Amino acid sequence: MKYGALAVLAACALLLFARCGAAGGSPAAPAAARGGDGFNSTDVMYLQMMVPHEGQGVRLVRLARGHRVRPEISTLAAAIEATQLTEVRTMAARLRGWHRPPRASAHEHAGHGGMPQTTDAQLQALDRTPDDRFERAFLNLLIAHQDDAVQMARKESRGGEDASTRRLAESVDRSRSAQIARMLAILGPSSPTQSPTPTK
Amino acid sequence: MRSPRTKVAVVAAAVPAASVLAVLANAAPASAHGTMSDPPSRVYTCKNEGPEHPQSEACKAAVAVAGTQPFYDWNEVSLLDAGGRHRQLIPDGQLCSAGRAKYRGLDLQRADWPAKKVSPGPLTITYHATAPHAASNFDFYITREGWDPTQPLRWSDLVSLASFTRQNPTTFTNWTLTLPQRTGRHILYSTWQRVLGSNEAFYTCSDVDFGGANTPTPPTTPPTTPPTTPPTTPPTTPPTTPAPDGTWALGKAYTAGDKVTYNGASYECLQAHTAIAGWEPPNAGALWRAA
Repeated sequence: MKYGALAVLAACALLLFARCGAAGGSPAAPAAARGGDGFNSTDVMYLQMMVPHEGQGVRLVRLARGHRVRPEISTLAAAIEATQLTEVRTMAARLRGWHRPPRASAHEHAGHGGMPQTTDAQLQALDRTPDDRFERAFLNLLIAHQDDAVQMARKESRGGEDASTRRLAESVDRSRSAQIARMLAILGPSSPTQSPTPTK
Repeated sequence: MRSPRTKVAVVAAAVPAASVLAVLANAAPASAHGTMSDPPSRVYTCKNEGPEHPQSEACKAAVAVAGTQPFYDWNEVSLLDAGGRHRQLIPDGQLCSAGRAKYRGLDLQRADWPAKKVSPGPLTITYHATAPHAASNFDFYITREGWDPTQPLRWSDLVSLASFTRQNPTTFTNWTLTLPQRTGRHILYSTWQRVLGSNEAFYTCSDVDFGGANTPTPPTTPPTTPPTTPPTTPPTTPPTTPAPDGTWALGKAYTAGDKVTYNGASYECLQAHTAIAGWEPPNAGALWRAA
C-alpha cells in the first residue's frame, strides 16, 4: 500500500518533470540523485536548486521597477536581472543536456542543505511596501537572497565535479558577494552598537 | 526578451506543483534545520516576537538593520560547506550571524538582548530541529567571565562547556550542561555540525543573565588570527584603479556602447552597470559582447 502510493507519486513526479523538460524539447529522465559521466549529484543538485532560485531572484529585482528607488539601485537591479536570466538559461540547458529534471523533489534536498526560498508571499509583501520604506526593504531582501546563493555556490565549488558548473558557481559566489558588498555600502554604515534607526 | 521571460514563467509554474508533491511525499525530512529554543537563540527570540512587529528593542534594531527575512529563515543560520572549519570561516564579531550578511542583525552588540535568567550549575537546554539529522556533533560554549556584551563576540571569548558527538537529534532535543560561575550577561553559543552526507553547520547565540553586573576585563588570550578567507563581506568599495585607457576596471560605471579591453580582448557594453567582481566581460554575457 505504502509502496503503491510512492510509485504513484513517483509517476506524478515524472509527469511534472516531463512537462517542465518539454520546454527544452528533451525527454524526462528519472529523478536520480546520482550524477553521470563527468558530473556528480552535487552538480545536479546545485543546478536544480539554482534554477528556481534564479527565477525568484529575477522576480525580486523586477519589483524595483514599480517603486521609487535611487538610480544606482535601479541600474544594479536591471543588471542583476539581465545576468541572472543568462545564468538560468545556461543552468537549465546543462540539466537538459544531462537528462536531469530542472528541479529536484524536496526530499532530495535533504543531503544538500535544503532549499532556501524567497517565496511569492514575501515578494508580494515587498511589493506592497510603501515607497518611503521600499528601498531599504528591497535591498535587505535582495541581500538575504543573494547570501543564500553564495552558500549554495560554495558547496558546489568544493563538492562539484563538472568543471564548467564549478566555474559557474565560483562566478556566482563572486558576483553575489560583490553585489552584497555594494548593497551594504548603499545602505550605509549601521554600527552594531547603534540603537534602532527608524527606517526612512 | 520573450524567451527568458517564458523560461522564468516555466520555472515559476513548476514551483507550486512540486511543492504540493513535496508535501504529499513527505517521507523524508526536507532538510536539517534548526536553532536553540531554550535558552532561545537571538534568531528564535525575534522570530517568536514576530518579524513584522518585534517587541524588544534588540529585535526591533535587528529588523531595522537587516530586514525581516532572516527571521522567517530562523532555522538556517548555517554554512552549507563548513565541514568543521568554523573558526576559519567566521570572523570575530560575526559569530552570531555565522559571518553571513543576511543574518548581520544578530551580531548587534547590545546589552539588552532578551536573556534567560540562569544560575551556575546544571541547565537543561533544548535544541529545536525542524528537520533533525542523524550523526551530528553539537558543541556548546559560554562566554568567559569578564566578557563585555557591548563588544564584538570573538572566538577567544568562548569557553567550551560540552561536546556531544554522533548525536541523533529529534525535533526537540534536550541536553544538560553545567554552567560555571559568572556574573551579568553572557552568551551561550553552539555549533551543530552534520557529519554524515553534508558539511553543513548551524550556529546559535543565546543570551543568558546570571544576575549582577558585567565587569568587563580585557581578554587574556590574544584575538584569534583573522580568517584567511572572509566569508560574505569582501571590501565594501572595490578600488577604482585608474586603469590604462579603455581597460575594464572594477567599480567603474559603464553605459551601453562603452568599449573596453579585458585580458587582451575587446568588448562592448550592452547594458548600464557598475563593474563588480564576477561581472568581468567574459563572465557576464548579458552585460558585454565581444567587439
